[in-house]
Amino acid sequence: MLYTENSVKDYKPRAMVIGNIVALSFAVILGRLWYLQIYNGEKFFRYSLANSLRKENIKAPRGLVFSRNNKLLIHNVPRFDAIIIPQYLSNRKTSLKKLAKIIDMPVEAIEKTLRKRSSQPRYMSVIIKKNITKKEVAIMETENFKIPGVSVRQFIGREYPDKEIGAHLLGYISEINDKQIPRLRKKFGHKYRPGDHIGQAGIEEILDLHLRGEDGQQIVEVDALGRARRYVSTDNLFKGIINRSFKRGDNLRLTIDKDLQKTAYDSLEGKVGSAVAVNVETGEILVMVSRPSFDPSQFGRGITRKYWNSLITNENNPLLDRNIQEHYSPGSTFKTITALAGLEEGLIDEKTEINCKGHIKFGTRKFHCWKKNGHGKVNIYKAIKESCDIYFYKLAQILDVDVLAKYANMLGLGMKTGISLPREIPGLIPTKKWKKEYTGESWQRGETLSVAIGQSFVLATPLQLVMSYAALANGGKVLRPYYLKDIFNNAGEIVEKTSPKIIRELSFKPKTLKILKKALFSAVNEKKGTAYWFRGRGIKMAGKTGTSQVVRLSSDKIYTKCEEMEYKFRHHGMFVSYAPADDPKIAVSVVVEHGCHGSTAAAPVARDIITHYMKKYHSDIRAKIIAEEKILAQRNKKQ
Amino acid sequence: MIAANFWSLIKKYDFSFFVIIAAIFMVGILNLHSATHSSHSQAAVNLYQTQILLFGFSIFAGMLISFIRPSTMARFSWPIYWINIGLLLLVLLLGMKGMGAKRWIVMGPFRLQPSEIMKISLILALARFFTSKRYFSELNLKNLIMPAFFALFPALLIIMQPDLGTGLVILLIFFMVVFYVGLKWKTIMILGIIGLISGLGMYQFGLKGYQKKRITAFLNPGMEPKGLGYNAIQSKIAIGSGKLFGKGFKKSTQASLNYLPENHTDFVFSIFNEEHGFFGSLLLIGLYLVLFFRFLWLAQSVTDVYDSIVVIGVMSVFFWHTLVNMGMVTGLLPIVGLPLPLMSYGGSSLLTFGICAGMATSISNSRNIF
Repeated sequence: MLYTENSVKDYKPRAMVIGNIVALSFAVILGRLWYLQIYNGEKFFRYSLANSLRKENIKAPRGLVFSRNNKLLIHNVPRFDAIIIPQYLSNRKTSLKKLAKIIDMPVEAIEKTLRKRSSQPRYMSVIIKKNITKKEVAIMETENFKIPGVSVRQFIGREYPDKEIGAHLLGYISEINDKQIPRLRKKFGHKYRPGDHIGQAGIEEILDLHLRGEDGQQIVEVDALGRARRYVSTDNLFKGIINRSFKRGDNLRLTIDKDLQKTAYDSLEGKVGSAVAVNVETGEILVMVSRPSFDPSQFGRGITRKYWNSLITNENNPLLDRNIQEHYSPGSTFKTITALAGLEEGLIDEKTEINCKGHIKFGTRKFHCWKKNGHGKVNIYKAIKESCDIYFYKLAQILDVDVLAKYANMLGLGMKTGISLPREIPGLIPTKKWKKEYTGESWQRGETLSVAIGQSFVLATPLQLVMSYAALANGGKVLRPYYLKDIFNNAGEIVEKTSPKIIRELSFKPKTLKILKKALFSAVNEKKGTAYWFRGRGIKMAGKTGTSQVVRLSSDKIYTKCEEMEYKFRHHGMFVSYAPADDPKIAVSVVVEHGCHGSTAAAPVARDIITHYMKKYHSDIRAKIIAEEKILAQRNKKQ
Repeated sequence: MIAANFWSLIKKYDFSFFVIIAAIFMVGILNLHSATHSSHSQAAVNLYQTQILLFGFSIFAGMLISFIRPSTMARFSWPIYWINIGLLLLVLLLGMKGMGAKRWIVMGPFRLQPSEIMKISLILALARFFTSKRYFSELNLKNLIMPAFFALFPALLIIMQPDLGTGLVILLIFFMVVFYVGLKWKTIMILGIIGLISGLGMYQFGLKGYQKKRITAFLNPGMEPKGLGYNAIQSKIAIGSGKLFGKGFKKSTQASLNYLPENHTDFVFSIFNEEHGFFGSLLLIGLYLVLFFRFLWLAQSVTDVYDSIVVIGVMSVFFWHTLVNMGMVTGLLPIVGLPLPLMSYGGSSLLTFGICAGMATSISNSRNIF
């Protein structure tokens, strides 16, 4: 049939059908309304009167965190709060009075807390006292019926058994704030909600999505006192309600050794500083502590004002992870890198010898060696072993600062190590271009001299230093440090596994590495070596001490004893090392702020860590250490 | 002379649509005020004032539209449709650049929501198509391909925004129109069977469990399966607790304690039922039926087929919104998020309904004014 002019009348049957459809549709709606309002109206009316249906969020327990040997580093513990639901406070005065007596808190204080939250809906609970004792819980549970509106709420507390030890690495959790919600939703694509607890630092922050799991949800009917009575899924009115159960967060196994952490932390007792130890071959972090520290357990449920104030007014900033969030002039520990550059560029070799008279003149400026009377004849071995400044000043006169920077960068200095932790800083390796850009001035050749001994512009984090020494120790592999062995779910299945990652493979002349290793060995194990008095018993450590000047000293003060200076002007002491010297397994970097010397302040910490490590993981060396310790003990007895 | 013309115009002007709409709106505004009066934020308490302004603006727009001759509408049907498609593409493009869903284009102080206007554009385009020479009056499967494309394409664009509710309404409007112009019962059956089998097959065998969840979650993040979920339960409690005569104006307990979220948009009907009961709903649904049958009667009393189809289309906009919203809050249909015409808060839907009423008025007037 071809196109014909239709008339509206042709559509009449269909219009009738549509009319019927419309009428029928609303008959169905009315039928449904009749079913809800007349047939079941009474029942729904009761529900509505009590306002008794609640959607309850069931918080998923966060994943646990274990050490490399499966010892708990973070776990969950049940805790209890005393709460009030204002809607059910039928007899406000008596209820508050009774509660005040049980939890030992003035009525006025409870009133004040309630007033503070008076803008929220009345059916929402107000926390009156956190972490009440088991005894208080018991009394409240038994008295519950007599004090309407008051009840106990359980929650899962996050506990860190080692408290301050390694707190920076583990981080802490606390309630999400309003500003974070939109930002984190966008960043992680996870629907964070007000009241959620999230990781705010360290591993808790970085691996929050793995640890947090998924909250569940259930709909419960509550009685007139606001206590959950039963699950409504038992009422056939709501047949088919599915309560979503929670999903536990995944657990982490770290590369950290719990015992070594403690050794390192204790060894830093009374000091401000940090220690980090890595596996030389893999980049696994074994130890990472920083002092002063904080107790992460305090943050989970609203930190007390008092504790928070004590943290933020502490001038040593306990929240700072000195391993990655602070950088220092590496001081003499940088000389190893200067020597590397000199040897590789062919500017010096084993035979190169200079004469140290305690100072040299360069231009109009006089540069001093730390040893006032000089070291006499110095070659590369002695220069590193005794940390002679003049040797490196002389080398710096023929070494371009950009070439030096190239070698430092190769080893990972001046850039982030890439460890998966928040707020790592990159340190600084100066170049001519950098100085021009940042200060507008050209490079002064004299400045190369200061850079060569790790002073002036050079800055490095302790983690960078240990990674660079690890690269020298393992023959040129620059590794990405990591702390996460694997992630496993609650069935014990491994979800994710970390494998070592080589960032760069450097090929140095074998001769160069041999010279450097020998020199670093002698610095610890030969008389006159800067760390000789702090060498470990039975272990063959190699390393380099360093002193990081806090202020530039005028020439008359250069040789003032550091210990006699005001605390805040004292030098930082550093020590970077690895062991065993002939077959390196572990590398350690220690910084002690205002510790004056790398040797006295920092080296003993590294020695303690390495000794403990060797005893624990290398049985052949353990025997040697124990034998040596016995000899020492006997000798002490005789005296 | 002008005055005389004016009076004769007023006498002949068909006010019935605006009157019925205003009547429903009156109920709506009282209900909105009741739903929000106990809200914690002052902004929510004042919502009903904004709603009155928006309604005034929408009625004004509808009145202006009512002076556009149906023949003019017919002439511009295709340009309007294609420009609208262009705008939908633009929104999708802008949405891709920015993060997340985007449904509107900002034009000065106004936010233009092309998916809303698409409901009207589609009606105009379909009416134009079915009265053109390209169309063979026998509407079999083959002849359905072209018009189906006109509806499916914008529906897809809207669903991708993602706005599942509006996308579905577009499709429903399409079905109502093709049914009216004579889609054969046989074709309807065939289509129904094919749709059912392929849909079930896809769902049963083609998709894995997590894919199903992901698809529904992607299409409509707020959607909860029928009968499940908190909103649906609270809505049912609100409605059921109204019993025969309701708890009375401003006496809703579900709303006052903010148990029911979205109680000023998608769930206004629940509050109305709680406060006015079955009896109140009977009257309200009666008002809606008066409106629908006024449209149907008009569709049969015009002489031009184009006009008739447009009126049916316009009716279907009101009808589907009302039916789906009521079905959804009473727990008969999944919660997809559609407003109840003239009752729910929201400017862009009010404007759509105002324009629809204006178009019907224009068509009604064309019988004796133009």
